[in-house]
Amino acid sequence: MSEAIPVVLLIVPFLAALACFVIRSSACRSFIVIATAAGLAVSSLLLQGPLAPDAGLRWAGIIDPVITGGDFLLLAIMFFLGCRYRNFLIIMLTASQLGLFAWLEFFVFAEDQGHALFAVDILSLVLVRVVCLVGGLICLHAIPYMQAHEQHQNLARSRQPQFFAVLLLFLGAMNGLVLTNNLAHFYFFFELTTLCSFLLIAHDRTEEAVGNALTALWMNGLGGLLLLLAIWGLYSQSAQLDMGGLVAATAGNPAALLPLALLVLAACTKSAQLPWQKWLLGAMVAPTPTSALLHSSTMVKAGVYLALRFAPAFAHTLLAQGLMLAGGFTFFAAAALAIGQRNAKKVLAYSTISNLGLIFACAGIGTPGAVAAGILLILFHAVSKGLLFLCVGTAEQQVHSRDIEVMRGLCAQMPFTGMIAVLGMLTIIVPPFGMLLGKWLVFEAGADHVVFYLMLVLGSSFTLLYWVRLAGTLLASGQTTGFKPEIKPFLTRFPLAALGCGAVMLGLAAPILYGRLLVPLTSLFPVGRAFSAGQAGMLTTAVGSFPLIVVFAVAALIGLLALSGVSKAMVGRKGTAYMSGANTRLPDHFVGPLNRPVRAVVENAYLVPLFGEERWTLWVNLAATGLLFLMLGGALWK
Amino acid sequence: MGLIDKLISTARRRSPWLLHFDCGSCNGCDIETLACLTPVYDVERFGVVNVGNPKHADILLVTGTVNLRNREVLTVLFEQMPEPKVVVAIGACGLSGGIFREAPNVVGGVDKVIPVDVYVPGCPARPEAIIDGVVLALEKFREKSKGKGEGK
Amino acid sequence: MMQTAALALAVPCAAILLGGLLSGIDRRLTARLQSRQGPPLSQPFLDVIKLMAKERMVTNPWQAFSPVASLGAAAFALVFFALQGDLLVILFVHMVGGVFLVLGAMASPSPYSQTASQRELWQMLSCETLLFLIAGALYLTTGSFRLSELSALPEPLLYRLPLLFAAFFFALTVKMRKSPFDLAGCHHAHQELVRGVFTEYVGPYLGLLEIAHWLDIVLYLAICSLFWATSTPAMILLPLAAFLAVIMLDNVAARLTWRWMLGWGWGAAFVLSALNLSWLKG
Repeated sequence: MSEAIPVVLLIVPFLAALACFVIRSSACRSFIVIATAAGLAVSSLLLQGPLAPDAGLRWAGIIDPVITGGDFLLLAIMFFLGCRYRNFLIIMLTASQLGLFAWLEFFVFAEDQGHALFAVDILSLVLVRVVCLVGGLICLHAIPYMQAHEQHQNLARSRQPQFFAVLLLFLGAMNGLVLTNNLAHFYFFFELTTLCSFLLIAHDRTEEAVGNALTALWMNGLGGLLLLLAIWGLYSQSAQLDMGGLVAATAGNPAALLPLALLVLAACTKSAQLPWQKWLLGAMVAPTPTSALLHSSTMVKAGVYLALRFAPAFAHTLLAQGLMLAGGFTFFAAAALAIGQRNAKKVLAYSTISNLGLIFACAGIGTPGAVAAGILLILFHAVSKGLLFLCVGTAEQQVHSRDIEVMRGLCAQMPFTGMIAVLGMLTIIVPPFGMLLGKWLVFEAGADHVVFYLMLVLGSSFTLLYWVRLAGTLLASGQTTGFKPEIKPFLTRFPLAALGCGAVMLGLAAPILYGRLLVPLTSLFPVGRAFSAGQAGMLTTAVGSFPLIVVFAVAALIGLLALSGVSKAMVGRKGTAYMSGANTRLPDHFVGPLNRPVRAVVENAYLVPLFGEERWTLWVNLAATGLLFLMLGGALWK
Repeated sequence: MGLIDKLISTARRRSPWLLHFDCGSCNGCDIETLACLTPVYDVERFGVVNVGNPKHADILLVTGTVNLRNREVLTVLFEQMPEPKVVVAIGACGLSGGIFREAPNVVGGVDKVIPVDVYVPGCPARPEAIIDGVVLALEKFREKSKGKGEGK
Repeated sequence: MMQTAALALAVPCAAILLGGLLSGIDRRLTARLQSRQGPPLSQPFLDVIKLMAKERMVTNPWQAFSPVASLGAAAFALVFFALQGDLLVILFVHMVGGVFLVLGAMASPSPYSQTASQRELWQMLSCETLLFLIAGALYLTTGSFRLSELSALPEPLLYRLPLLFAAFFFALTVKMRKSPFDLAGCHHAHQELVRGVFTEYVGPYLGLLEIAHWLDIVLYLAICSLFWATSTPAMILLPLAAFLAVIMLDNVAARLTWRWMLGWGWGAAFVLSALNLSWLKG
């Protein structure tokens, strides 16, 4: 039974995608998407690890050739895309991948026998549930979203079948990516997500969308090439493709460090780490479900997943140190760049890059506690950020802009979406919610490294700043008249509410999850500080403790008190803002010349000269490149 | 009167925060008003603070003649003050419009627009008289508390 | 368990008394420095009691939510401190107070409160980073983030963290809203932004925020006492000296712009702290 679930998780999305593509009826499509999302959610919850050591072997005879054939097909499609758009870089990258892959497949890889096809440990369990539950909710949200999206476009023929087909295909690819135990199969799914990402970004077919999709394609193509090189190197070291086996075999082997470094670089491109952030920022032109699914909660997690999976192999080497610094730098620099942004979606994008940097740094610190923190961050970030993307997308369809200043006072216009968005932001910056717990664990794990700690402190202060600013802007009382009341379909409200509840409540599960993560991780790492998982309701590391249950209870109490204060305040007299006494009937206007009302315009300080991306992107990229070279150098040192 | 009420009543009388609004005075009364805050008179001894914000103020000090333009502002400032609050009109102009009362754009004294509790005469009013007016205003708080319970 | 519960009640009450008293000392001392007599020491308490009994009035419901959340966070952080908890957790909880203060201030359409919110964010940025660096220094010297480990130190932290103490003094000035860094909401009335972030909080809400501010100052002074945690008199004298120094500075300095605060003030403080941390490691 348990062996069949990975296959279900893999096959069902592919079949559903095919069905979506073929059937053009909108009602059927909605039904397929809802059914697939529900099915995936249930099966991901049913999935239990660990599987038998020969899990899935009996299907190996079918799956192996299918995946190899799929690899060639994928590379051929990308090659074709490169030719069609005359993008030399893509042609070069895919051609070299094709050649290398063919050579590896036909001459290098021996017939692999006896290794499990699937491996389910706690890391892949967390990822699978993120993909299926968060991803499923995003797919549900996409149904009404895409209908509204196409209303503005006046298309002769709906392009939703393709969109949903790719969306579901992508879910299957992600499931395969996190469940597979074979590095060559991993490469296939890795490339599949790249192609899906291209198709989804280019969905609107505008010039900008296609251009940005091509950027994504070549950057991720580079990642694919690096991954393939890494696979070659790792295979030549230990003659196997079994991921668990590879980690064990390469740990402490200096010769394996170079391929591992290439692997980490491939992961960095996939997760849009500096200096490859451009494709993720460009991907924001896509419809919001794409951004939410691919570029915040799932696809970019593939990179950090790879790094965390292989973290034991390079723990406590110069490579790990370099990765920690590079990740820390991305965390800090992307957060700083987010301060200078007034495009809400770009703020989310930079924040995603920044948090992924933090997770990479966890892989670099390489203690069980740090890696566990990284896994927790993946989970909490996926929920909170997926929620925020959906909120911003919903808001964007109402206000027709992504500008933060246009969204000022959103909570007055769209109470439901606005308040959930504010809640989502609070779950990122305020204890006792998940993201902050994860960050706290990183603080505790990384305090030994002074430079990293400095970047961590700066980065988290910057993060606090831009989230509070954005939340406050949404809360501001702006225009209270002259807008359509918020009436949203159930499929828009349900994912928002579900993710909102998840973001608030998941933090409570952190101690249990942390304890369960630590046990298997401790056996994987050669050295690590002594620590205990602590008692129930308490998050404990070697150097500190977080009384989570107490904080949660007190936070709930304070929240209730504050809400009762609000209900008392609603009874009383409604005040007007202080405008030196020159108020008008409009809340944010004062009496100007000739007794005309003038709007008091206050905008946020974005400090563009200090934090603007135009000024800093080049320098930040140079610094990040330098750090990555430092990391590579660290790998070559021995 | 319970202990808490007594405490609140004491606190109100010992922590009057002022808002000073110049309705169009010749600045004579304004200078005398601000003089109260200087080291010579040091009204902060009695907890008096000039807050410059109706939302924090307990006592509104108004100097000068009310005219058609600043009438609105005066009303808004008065409305923005939370209860309990008292208004002190200062100087001949604040009381009745003074020598400007016949002018076409003048409405008259402060009490034409908002209810005034204490009148401080003079042209300009002396700082001692103003302080005396504020002290009288404090007594008004006690009366208001009696009238409206807790002053809500 | 009972002891913890008693402490959880007693600490905020004691801190409110202490914070109010310190505020009274501040006002009286400032008056003396300006050759005035100044209000009685009990003045801050009278002010708060009066504020609590005033009418509730909001322009946005968040203005009613924020003060309670702010005060709750400040009190909770102090209780954690008294229980000798993890300094990072204390700082994270303490941060929540500032977050809600800004959220409430931004919720009003008033341009004064909006502008001041932006400044308050910069002030938070500069304070929080320095406090987290102090936590890092604590870890590097004691090997733990738990305050309970601190008593085992043979010599005062100040000997090893002189530069960090200078940076902390900057943070204290910012947090106490004293010149030259009282940009976002001065403690005295009358500044260019009326009363900054506090402008739109009426009556009881202002009262709650005032209490939260006292608690914040007490927490900062408690953190200050960590610098000399080996002897009880020094634990009292050091924060007191820092507090008096801030008041003196307030009376002799003019307000600086946020550019100056962030560029020179915070920049210098950060560099000093980083230097100090790096030699701790070596």
